[in-house]
Amino acid sequence: MVKVTYVAHDGARVTVEAEPGESVMQAALSNDVEGIIGECGGAMMCATCHCYVDEAWEVGAGARAEGEEDMLEGAASEVTGRSRLSCQIKLAPELDGLVVHLPEEQL
Amino acid sequence: MALAPRDETITLAQLTADPYPIYRRLRSESPVLRVAAVGRTLLTKASLTKAVKDDPELFSSNDPATPMRPAFRAHTLMRKDGAEHMAERTAIAPALTPKRIQADWGPLYEKLAEEYISRLPRGGTVDLFKALCGPLAARILAHILGIPEATDDEMQRWSQALIDGAGNFGWAPEPFAASDRANDEMDALLERLRPLRIAEPDGSAYSVMLTAENPVPPSQIAATIKIAIGGGINEPRDALATALFGLLDNPGQLAEVKAQDAWGKAFEEAIRWVAPIQVSSRLVTRDTELGGCEIPAGDTVMTVQASACRDEELYENGEEFFVFRKKNPHQAFGNGPHHCAGAHVARRTVGKIILPMLFDRFPDMRLATREDVQWRGFGFRGPVNLPVALN
Ligand code: HEM
Ligand code: FES
Repeated sequence: MVKVTYVAHDGARVTVEAEPGESVMQAALSNDVEGIIGECGGAMMCATCHCYVDEAWEVGAGARAEGEEDMLEGAASEVTGRSRLSCQIKLAPELDGLVVHLPEEQL
Repeated sequence: MALAPRDETITLAQLTADPYPIYRRLRSESPVLRVAAVGRTLLTKASLTKAVKDDPELFSSNDPATPMRPAFRAHTLMRKDGAEHMAERTAIAPALTPKRIQADWGPLYEKLAEEYISRLPRGGTVDLFKALCGPLAARILAHILGIPEATDDEMQRWSQALIDGAGNFGWAPEPFAASDRANDEMDALLERLRPLRIAEPDGSAYSVMLTAENPVPPSQIAATIKIAIGGGINEPRDALATALFGLLDNPGQLAEVKAQDAWGKAFEEAIRWVAPIQVSSRLVTRDTELGGCEIPAGDTVMTVQASACRDEELYENGEEFFVFRKKNPHQAFGNGPHHCAGAHVARRTVGKIILPMLFDRFPDMRLATREDVQWRGFGFRGPVNLPVALN
């Protein structure tokens, strides 16, 4: 299992255990983490799974997928250098302990 | 494993009048069902509809043999998969982002909403469906798309003609004659406006697609504009009418929505409760299995998102309009690669601008007679009238 911590916009932290291979978006949905909607189911079409990768994990979480940059343009909240679509971050053992921050709004 | 059971009792007339009691029964008795009257395998559980739309390789949108092609005189992005779909989708996306809508267009939409709302007559009963929902949705879309030269009536007529043509599974001649006329008119307008939208880029969908670094072919630009006309007027119109009905019919919830400024939630609940696009079709590319039934390659499955949106597995009292649900993971905008390209536009215009403004200007409006409101539709659904007393 891989641990992921989601930090809500108001600072509240939730840590969940996810299966390797799941995306950060799926892990949030299957554990009822609020603040990630993932409406398109990971097809990179909705940008309602926007998150900011914690500074410490910037490199570990990998680069943006092809097309991710364009779709991030569709995010409702501010997009920064650490913005990712959480459906495009696949969990692997190396990401155990990953921390992501959630934006103010997704819609 | 056996094929899905087949039903010969459900009629299109029943589905058009009120499909919900039927869907409720199907969810518990046979969530995978070949319905003779529709000629499709209907899927009525949320887990099934989502699984199908999330897997475009197994369940393809690419079905050139539907009436959509003659209706739009094109093979459109809605009926393509993979890279081809992606290219056309990426072309229009920059015009429909929340930032574009909020920062660049927000003030214009506010002004349009203000204009259409302030011309509503006070002191009598008004059919808001006709007087407001349709025309305002048409006007806003005309600006987003970059064709504000089209009138509200033209936009609404084109939209209806495209929808009727695309749903013409009986291949009757009249609907195609009407969609042909609409296509001629739209093509002429697009042709006339093209040099203008290139000379002065204005961030509208037409302009953005025309002036892209690597533009998609002109025929596909026109096809995508037409998809947005067909899919971008009736749906926000019906969503607005449904939200108004839900709120006016539940004054307690309306008061709470006002108090909490929860208009966005009210919009989400309206489209969950009565999804403006109730069903979609997908072509099965390989023999497979769904809900314990054999599904052969070549079959066409119909995802009934209207039913998924009321699935007991996700919702308590799903048959009721209740804004303050803890969670509302509805599928009214679809999911997977064809997830609605206009979701942000609809959410922001209807949920954040029009609903609050209307209740601000007419705080005492009420349904004239609840029983007079008529609902209709199998593929697309909403009230067809909304008599409201304005003062
Ligand atoms: C409440 C309002 C709306 C609802 C409920 C809605 C619903 C949907 C649904 C369910 C689909 C997916 C169809 C499928 O899976 O085959 C879709 C696709 C689409 N919608 Fe919307 N829609 C709305 C408003 C709009 C608006 C305002 C626009 C235009 C600005 C728009 C443009 C599109 C386009 C272009 C597609 C095709 C996307 C693709 O195939 O990639 N929609 N819509
Ligand atoms: S879930 Fe839609 S873009 Fe990530």
